Amino acid sequence: MKRIYKNIFIAAFVAPTFLILFAVVFYPFLYNLVISFSNMNLRHIKDWQIIGFTQYVKVFTDPTEPNFYAIFLKTVIWTFVNVFFHVVIGVFLALLLNQQIKGKSIYRTLLILPWAIPQYIVALTWRGMFNYEYGSINLVITKYLSLPAVEWLKSPTEAFIACILTNVWLGFPFMMVVALGALQSIPHELYEAADIDGANWFYKLRNITIPLIKPVMIPAITLGIVWTFNNLNIIWLVSNGGEPSDQTHILISFVYKAAFNLYRYGYAAALSMIIFVILLFFSLFFMKKTRATESAY
Amino acid sequence: MSDNINLKLFTFFIISINLIFTSSACRKQDDLSKILIWHQMRVDEREILEAQLKRYMQLNPGIKVEALYKETEELRSGFIIAAIAGQGPDLVYGPSDQVGPFQVMDIILPLDTLFEQEFLEGFNPKALVYFKGNLYQIGDKLGNHLTLVYNKDLIKSPPETDIELIELGQKLTVDLNKDGKIDRYGLVWNYTEPFFFIPFLSGFGGWVMDEDGNPTLDTQANIDALNFIKDLRDKYKIIPGEADYNIADVLFKDGKAGMIINGDWSWAGYKKAGINIGIAPLPKITKTGLWCAPMVSTKGYSINSNVRKEKIPSIINLLKFLLAPEQQMEVTKQINTMPTLKILYDDPFIKNDEIMVNSQLQIERGKPMPVVPELRAIWDAMRPSYQAVLGGAKSPEKAAIDMQELALRKIKEMNE
Amino acid sequence: MKKKINNKKFIKKLVTHLVLIIFTIIAVYPVLQVITISLRPADRLLSTSLEIIPDNATLKSYIELFTNRPFLLWVANSAFVSLVVTLTGVVFASMAGYAFSRFNFIGKKLGLLSLLVTQMFPATMLLLPLYIMLIYLGLINSYLGIIIIYTATALPFCVWTMKGYYDTIPYSLEEAAKIDGCNQFQAFYKIILPLAAPALVITGLFSFMAAWSEYIVAAQVLQDTQLWTLPLGLKSFEANMTTEWGLYGAASFIVMIPVVILFLVLSRWLVSGLTLGSVKG
Repeated sequence: MKRIYKNIFIAAFVAPTFLILFAVVFYPFLYNLVISFSNMNLRHIKDWQIIGFTQYVKVFTDPTEPNFYAIFLKTVIWTFVNVFFHVVIGVFLALLLNQQIKGKSIYRTLLILPWAIPQYIVALTWRGMFNYEYGSINLVITKYLSLPAVEWLKSPTEAFIACILTNVWLGFPFMMVVALGALQSIPHELYEAADIDGANWFYKLRNITIPLIKPVMIPAITLGIVWTFNNLNIIWLVSNGGEPSDQTHILISFVYKAAFNLYRYGYAAALSMIIFVILLFFSLFFMKKTRATESAY
Repeated sequence: MSDNINLKLFTFFIISINLIFTSSACRKQDDLSKILIWHQMRVDEREILEAQLKRYMQLNPGIKVEALYKETEELRSGFIIAAIAGQGPDLVYGPSDQVGPFQVMDIILPLDTLFEQEFLEGFNPKALVYFKGNLYQIGDKLGNHLTLVYNKDLIKSPPETDIELIELGQKLTVDLNKDGKIDRYGLVWNYTEPFFFIPFLSGFGGWVMDEDGNPTLDTQANIDALNFIKDLRDKYKIIPGEADYNIADVLFKDGKAGMIINGDWSWAGYKKAGINIGIAPLPKITKTGLWCAPMVSTKGYSINSNVRKEKIPSIINLLKFLLAPEQQMEVTKQINTMPTLKILYDDPFIKNDEIMVNSQLQIERGKPMPVVPELRAIWDAMRPSYQAVLGGAKSPEKAAIDMQELALRKIKEMNE
Repeated sequence: MKKKINNKKFIKKLVTHLVLIIFTIIAVYPVLQVITISLRPADRLLSTSLEIIPDNATLKSYIELFTNRPFLLWVANSAFVSLVVTLTGVVFASMAGYAFSRFNFIGKKLGLLSLLVTQMFPATMLLLPLYIMLIYLGLINSYLGIIIIYTATALPFCVWTMKGYYDTIPYSLEEAAKIDGCNQFQAFYKIILPLAAPALVITGLFSFMAAWSEYIVAAQVLQDTQLWTLPLGLKSFEANMTTEWGLYGAASFIVMIPVVILFLVLSRWLVSGLTLGSVKG
């Protein structure tokens, strides 16, 4: 009897969440799966038919400029660099804020600002800041650092770096807050004991701080990777849809362009499925490596 | 205390549920008396449209017309999605180049049989958008064309040829405070969009595609045109090193550029910013003897193919009202766009206003924008190389070859 | 000896403040830019000067926004949608998270994983099928449609957060409650939920943000200006080549205010509540 009650309890608690997710994600996902095997595009928007794996083959073999592999590589760089700086800056600031200093809560609040602002608003501001002649970033570079101005939005590499800078700015507060929470749960006695042993700052960081915040950071990092990999807004808005020359695309913005600018729905759906599979395998691998779901049992 | 909060939450919950369901229930009566328009009009146009619709609803009690603004690109993708799903607005308003993809997707209706011949004959043929032998869009505004906009406080008479343009540009480009940075440029425009390059291309005798929609970018004309704008920047130094739409716009608004190449949509903003503007047709290229010809297109209405038959008469009735001379003239007088009815061209307002006269001259010298869906692939193919030439990363010769090659491939990708 | 230590400490504090100030400036500056844009006359996105308070600064955009545009309607609509999403998000996530934290059941790991998996599919590609689905369900042009979608966007993260936080609450508390005669639900509702307040705050905040600033889905679903939410109104100032930057800046700034205030008020709980399902209990 008790067992049945328990099962009903679990079912009742979990059901609403999964019903909603099922409704919103499941059908669209299946729809995309079907479309990815079809020729749905400008010429076959209503009368599309299943044509097998053609779109998938196209994704891997089309000599588009840039091609799938180049964009994939760029996406990996985008994701890695972004998450790396999110975590490093986030943890670094969290360490600073975890001391006893004046104005701590003011700093903390202001530092969270980038997280609080809708991305599409701030992306446009950043685009303005990267302007060659009138942007504040070049002003700082030329006036205070005495370096030559950078043509941020005109050449592919610089434009890509501009996107990364914007996204690093947007993403570090989240990691900072996660890290701050983790740091606060570390008992002070551990550090005190280390102090008595004469341990230096670096030793404490490596042997106390990092191991203890790791279990909290890993899920956040996993989520951060998935979010960053699929973050359309920043690339699209800062580089104005992949400019220059479609050279700043990551996979997600490439999908968006294929579907909504070029009407290649079948192709875009196939590419989406590939993105999905890449992320799925990566996350499973990453979590297995870091044992992030250990506590799920 | 906590009971009180619970009560408030409960009340909120009940109100919420009511609100959620009433809003969806309202829609159920999708009846013949309600007409929905999606448009991408800018604010000043929008306000006039709203006022006109209000008048229409007073004249036709029982009919409710609603206009919904969407940004051009979103209007397009949103309409496609809605129409595929068998929904969407009754009327879709936008630039003529959306006709191509919409027709190919079979989501707008041919209009030939819906309107009488005499009615259609009253229009400037440039405002009737035919595609594959059928009429798909009727314009209420003609133009969307680039012209030379100049600051009258700096320029007495606008240049008529490329040589005059360069001379005047060199005179205007100055370093006022001698700090080595140019403080005012002779000319600016948006370098990121090939749309702004078209007048040069046509001035040197080129065009984007042939009659059948095949790209014609690998031409001497294209190379010459690219060399010309490169020289404007590097040799004559009358244009800035980098400019997108917003920079060009601000430079002109701040009086830091003497001339700007921009479209009829921008004039109101410049007046608002306090610039004493003049409009002139784009200059003639001496080498070819051709006028720089911008793309001219119309903006107008198409009917969603999902519209029920019974509803069509009331939609036509509305369209006839919106396209009528009084309504068109109202828009023209307020925001200086060119109307599409032939009889209006004799109106004293158009005949005597300096801006309207020059605008009309520019429209006459312009070339109609192609409506085939391939145009989008051509823009996409031109953009990278055009930007690369202006960025100094590519030679005009290489750019012309690359544009053509990319255009052919993009068209193939789109159509396969 | 002691003085030396004090000196060292002082320098350390100074450096800390310096670094924090630099980062704070970096964090705040782009936000200030939005305000600058809103104060500029004649719709300039860029300016050839760099002052925070521009020349000829004007509040015209704000006045225009509140007097001539249905701005307050958009605010009210957005507030309504966001509050409902917050409520549903918090209720559902706190329940699901609890089940995941406290019980072992078949499909538990799969369930948790599938929450993460939902984040992996490119969201923009869901738009077309979602739209078709909403038409079948008759939910086009209604808040119910977007509320369900927004809740679904926010839930995975929220459930993970709740689960993570519950994991840090010792199970002995419920056992004690049960000995006192509470059933499982009462133990959850009366004992555990109040203790999980920080995580509830995160969950609520996250759900709120998911709804408050969402644009793409709303643009497709809400086809009636009376129903427009704030981001839709904001975007309506943006037109091809003739954006009303002044209004756009002013509205953007106002969109930010409630979120910033929420962060401000809640920042204490924010730090302790964000635990993302991993700390062992």
